[in-house]
Amino acid sequence: MVAPLVVEQLVKDYRVPGRPPFRAVSGVSFSIEERECFGLLGPNGAGKSTSMQCITGFYPPTSGSVSILGYDVHADPRRARAALGVCHQEDTLDTDFTVFDQMVRHASFFGIGAVEAGRKARELLAKFDLSAKIDEPVEALSGGMRRRLQVARALMAEPRLLVLDEPTTGLDPEARRVLWSIIAEFRRGNGAVLLSTHYMEEAERLCDRIAIIHRGKILDCDTPPRLIARHVGTADVAEEIRPGVRWKRPANVEDVYLKLTGIPLSADESETTAEDEEMRPPAETTGGLHR
Amino acid sequence: MSTCQAIATVWRRYFAIYKKNLWFGIVTTFVEPLLYLVSFGVGVGGLVGAVTTESIRITYRQFVFSGIVGQALLFQGFFEAAYGGFVRMYYQKVFQAIAVTPVTMSEVLWGELLWDASKATFSSSAVLLIGAICGDFSIAGSLLALPVIFICSLLFASLGLLTAARSSTIDEISYPQFLLIFPMFLFCGVFFPLDQMPAVIQGIAWLLPLTPVISVIRSLTLGFPLKPLAALAVIAWTVILVRVARRAMRDRLVK
Repeated sequence: MVAPLVVEQLVKDYRVPGRPPFRAVSGVSFSIEERECFGLLGPNGAGKSTSMQCITGFYPPTSGSVSILGYDVHADPRRARAALGVCHQEDTLDTDFTVFDQMVRHASFFGIGAVEAGRKARELLAKFDLSAKIDEPVEALSGGMRRRLQVARALMAEPRLLVLDEPTTGLDPEARRVLWSIIAEFRRGNGAVLLSTHYMEEAERLCDRIAIIHRGKILDCDTPPRLIARHVGTADVAEEIRPGVRWKRPANVEDVYLKLTGIPLSADESETTAEDEEMRPPAETTGGLHR
Repeated sequence: MSTCQAIATVWRRYFAIYKKNLWFGIVTTFVEPLLYLVSFGVGVGGLVGAVTTESIRITYRQFVFSGIVGQALLFQGFFEAAYGGFVRMYYQKVFQAIAVTPVTMSEVLWGELLWDASKATFSSSAVLLIGAICGDFSIAGSLLALPVIFICSLLFASLGLLTAARSSTIDEISYPQFLLIFPMFLFCGVFFPLDQMPAVIQGIAWLLPLTPVISVIRSLTLGFPLKPLAALAVIAWTVILVRVARRAMRDRLVK
């Protein structure tokens, strides 16, 4: 069985004229099995989005390789991306089309005919509770609806690998739960998911395995319980939640991250895009590579 | 899916939007050159009567109609690619959304350029048609001009896409618009024969792409002798600008 995704020694340098190259991703390796949900966890600027851009074939890697169902995404993008669905971190919905038309148009980029695409679009829009908005322009949708539509669009070509880059950022709790159930259903149909997030609850709930990424390197990768047991232990963690108020709670993946990097996830340096990442100074190399 | 099919799929995305907003498309594509035709061709043409250029005497309407074919190429090609391309790249993120499907970034950018060139070709074809109907252009020459017009449209669409790729904000597109596009529109032989101008201005005008474009169009539509250097300049400008614009947009999007 060919793995839906194999990433090997992925390195990505951003080159800015007159400045030394900035290494955003430094030797990242992992693979995802069928039905697996694999999480990339780290603060903004850790290299998650850059890794995602290389994995989808949008950015060329400096070195290393990415294979989707055995096809190199950079050498053979047509075949590799035929099995790929992508939901970007930012809204990439085509505002020139209605909800329905944009689903059909997106399918055309996969070589799917209008009749089949129309049938599939209706089916997906019903599943995502967007049937009532089928003829509406995208601008008429709420933020949560737009996010759902973006995930629905990513499923139009019945992908085997779904790449979700911070899909629930900015969503209310109800919309997040709807998306979580959609991801679960996709996996039941043999789909694999690569999820980037900085929400602990989401990562622990959805992901079979989590890779903790920091300064472009995977510091550790395992199931959430094993990561917690290995780095924090099974005892409750005591913390001060307000001045003078302390409580104990079960250890979570954020504690693992804090232990490994010394930086709380909430201490994101900034909302960072790839363009911002290139403006940062070259990262120091910390930690080792784990698979 | 072959490369040609992929590019055609991207092109059809644009055409679908054009068809959906047909009246908007017709107004923005055809009204402007028609206004120039009426005001300069009929209005100014009635005052000027005839002009002599390159030792050939023609009516001013013939002269300006053939110039407006070039003006339509310039404006439609540049503005669609510059403003439309910037909006699609920066605000709508259309290129980013398509380039993670089986369609590659190279194909997306070809689709964009070919659409921009197609829209400019629609617009200038309308001027050609009116010129032919009015008896100002030769019918055979107008038909022969169609593929040439498409190449010239690609030239100005590439200039627009290059502008979009190099602009940090949509307002920055105004710089080439005011410093390059409008001077070309005014000084490259659309409205008056270049030989009216001082030699220095003529020299500068010949360094800009619109002058050889209009020269080639006049050769085809009015039977002026074809200047081989002008034809060569059009080809060279097109090849260079297509290459540079695609590279610039790719570098802007793909880190």
